[in-house]
Amino acid sequence: MTEADRTKTILRSIHGRPSRRYYIIMALALLGIIWYGQAYVFQLQNGMIVLGIADWGSSGGIPWGLYVGSFIWWVGIAHGGIIVSAAVRLFRLNTYKPVARLAELLTLIALSVAAFYIVVHLGRPDRVVTSMLRGWPTTVHTSPLAWDVTVITLYFVLTATYLYLTIRADIHSLKMELPRIFSPLYAVLLIGYREDEKKKIEGMAWWLALAVIILAPLFLHGGVIPWLFALLPGQPGWFGAAQGPQFLTIALSSALGGVMIVAYLFRRLYGWEELLDDNVFRGLSRWLALFAMLFLWLQLQKIITGVSIAPDSIHTATRATVSEPLYWLALALVGGALGWFGLQMLFPQLFTVERTVVAAALPVMATLIEKFLFVVEGMMHPVFDLYQGVPGYYTPSWIELSSVVGAISLVVLFFLIVSKVIPVIEVEVEHDE
Amino acid sequence: MTSPEHDGVHESQPLSAADVFDAAWEEKVRSAMASTGWNADLAIQAARGALDVLAGGLTEDEFQSRLHDAYLREFGVDLRPRTEEEMEAAALELDTAAGAVALPVVDSRAAAAGEAPVAVTARGASAHPTVSRRTAIAVAGGGIAALMVGDLLGARARQAEAQTPGHGSGHAPTGPTNGAGNGAANGKHKVQMGMVIDLERCDGCLMCVSACKKAYGLQDGVHWLYVLAYKEPDKPNNVNLLVRPCQHCSNAPCVKVCPTGARHRRSDGIVLTNYDVCFGCRYCQVSCPYGVNYFGWEDPKDAGGGFTGERKDGRGKSVIGAPPRGVMGKCIYCPGRQDSIHQEPSTHCSVSCPMGVIHYGDLNDPESEPNRYLNKRVADSGGKLSTFRLLDDLGTRPNVIYIGHRPSRRAEPTANPVKYEDWGLVNERRTVLEGPEPWFKRMFGR
Repeated sequence: MTEADRTKTILRSIHGRPSRRYYIIMALALLGIIWYGQAYVFQLQNGMIVLGIADWGSSGGIPWGLYVGSFIWWVGIAHGGIIVSAAVRLFRLNTYKPVARLAELLTLIALSVAAFYIVVHLGRPDRVVTSMLRGWPTTVHTSPLAWDVTVITLYFVLTATYLYLTIRADIHSLKMELPRIFSPLYAVLLIGYREDEKKKIEGMAWWLALAVIILAPLFLHGGVIPWLFALLPGQPGWFGAAQGPQFLTIALSSALGGVMIVAYLFRRLYGWEELLDDNVFRGLSRWLALFAMLFLWLQLQKIITGVSIAPDSIHTATRATVSEPLYWLALALVGGALGWFGLQMLFPQLFTVERTVVAAALPVMATLIEKFLFVVEGMMHPVFDLYQGVPGYYTPSWIELSSVVGAISLVVLFFLIVSKVIPVIEVEVEHDE
Repeated sequence: MTSPEHDGVHESQPLSAADVFDAAWEEKVRSAMASTGWNADLAIQAARGALDVLAGGLTEDEFQSRLHDAYLREFGVDLRPRTEEEMEAAALELDTAAGAVALPVVDSRAAAAGEAPVAVTARGASAHPTVSRRTAIAVAGGGIAALMVGDLLGARARQAEAQTPGHGSGHAPTGPTNGAGNGAANGKHKVQMGMVIDLERCDGCLMCVSACKKAYGLQDGVHWLYVLAYKEPDKPNNVNLLVRPCQHCSNAPCVKVCPTGARHRRSDGIVLTNYDVCFGCRYCQVSCPYGVNYFGWEDPKDAGGGFTGERKDGRGKSVIGAPPRGVMGKCIYCPGRQDSIHQEPSTHCSVSCPMGVIHYGDLNDPESEPNRYLNKRVADSGGKLSTFRLLDDLGTRPNVIYIGHRPSRRAEPTANPVKYEDWGLVNERRTVLEGPEPWFKRMFGR
């Protein structure tokens, strides 16, 4: 494939009239967003009483539910993106270069969805900015939620800067071929662009990649997100020094699955079999297998230590976890994916991209279930369980369930639009020299 | 003693003044009044009426009017305000008097910014902080960095402000009668309001629970004070009780995790939620090991129509009454009562308890009522009294001292001797948290 051919193929997503399939997907995505939109308006009008959550304690409820579970899930998915991309740059894993930008975009939108989940979960969303900023200088010393918002904001800024820096060269070289309607946007993106900035940009991008690869696994999903739960005194189900590694393996499993699904959909939509070739999927599935294995291994640690002679409260919480069928469903899904990837490695003739992507989707589903259970079960078995209303019960309301549809629709819509505005695969091939 | 006896359990009717001020009490009053020459009947009537006002059975207006003629006969005058206008005028008079004598208070924000302290009156301090032109220019000119520093200073100042009870109020607590105002300022004695709860005397009548709900217009199923009943596996016939207000921990997890600073600890150790700042993330509720928080899931819609009294405490912060929708609420140790110069430290639950179970005051003051009570109980028991603080092994440093049996890890919940329903209360709030049906259910039925 010559470079000109390659560029032409990449621009397929931008040029030409969108296909019927494109419009159908867009209509479905819009429908999903509108559906959750009206559900959220209903929530705003009537208060959070319309959700399935309630106070824990004498009230017999659970105060955090699917909204918080989904929040963690999306933050987890957000990792995939930039970690894949940063690894490509730092460790020269050039096989995955074609998915790097798609992955970066997934990070940006997944982080935005996570932020959206924080907002809809609040009783007074109108105060989110004022109250948060007002208290920040003091709350950041002790509040894991304040750390969380800080690190996620930092992560978002790093990722957006990284994407912005690496996209400038592409936009500059393709300026003539990009749709004129967006030219003001391109002009803004290219402010101060110089032909000779490439080397400097490369250096900056390298440092950003390094920052991200340290920040995201060690301090975000292996740090502040699990600390949100593990630092609390009264909920033994959330306690544990291994909570960080556990969260990280779960996040990376969902993230790699997410990247593979997005990459596959683009491959189908624009006939990018040559750009996003089988090797990309084969390689990603191996990484996913590794993280799925670590995921199961750390769950094993938790169960083994929790159900043996653990302190009473931890024992109770772990027993509750292992008696929950949904928990085993989640582990079975991850185990299923791991088993399939193992078979594929042993018998390469079994490999097809479709099968790989289906298997990759299993951990993505499993992690949503696991995150949901983690949040809810932690509150169900507190140390202080003398209440008649403990363990409380919780069934997600139609509004909370709709939010999952709405969030996925938002991500789909984002990709549909972005793929018409910028090249979602890097055009510049000679970065590394 | 591991369990209270229940043969003396009250009927499910709300207790009236007659139950508390019984014949024996009347006798005592009569003998005490005999030497004064004043009318003992009037004193008894006034005391009963006052309790009815507290319990909500009588309005202050009705109370004043009912005894007006008797007061005139006895004293020749009745200076108590009766009409609303009179009450307002009296309140204004009190405010003006307090404002005129308010002590100068240093504007902590200006002080934090390194400026000469500016003296302002206590009333003006919280409403209009004094910021000099130099500070304003410095902040404006410094851009983002200066804003950050300014915000940090602001937060410090707010923290300092939170340390000053009564600041900004006409009712600045003063004098030794009030725990909140006592000491913190002179740095010698650190006030810590708290409770001694004598579980051995509790019969589970739930009068405290009901009084709290009435006082603050709490919604059905919201129990800022809750009474748990439980059994120990080795003594299955004994019903133990645990009265659970907020523990107002010295090392409160809810204060630490709050991402807005809405949940805070006053200088007298009372942990409160600033209703104007809280954005309803419920992290305080999740972090609290005692389960004392109750969220505002909806607009108040109970018969009482929510809380209509004064929402602000002595510092001018909105912390009193049922929380508005979308904001967290919990037991507040009645700050309005503590900030009033007219009252000894007390809470609605402590004054409503007919058994003398709840003793409220400054736990750091050896002469406070709860400490005197505790010492007496210890002495009476010959030093064998069982006392504990709930889940203190979690490091929360709770400020409720219980007398009685400490629940074991194996304790199991059981039915209360007096049911919540008997008082017209809802036990499990989850059962009444039912929002309106969405349009598609209304349209298409089930």
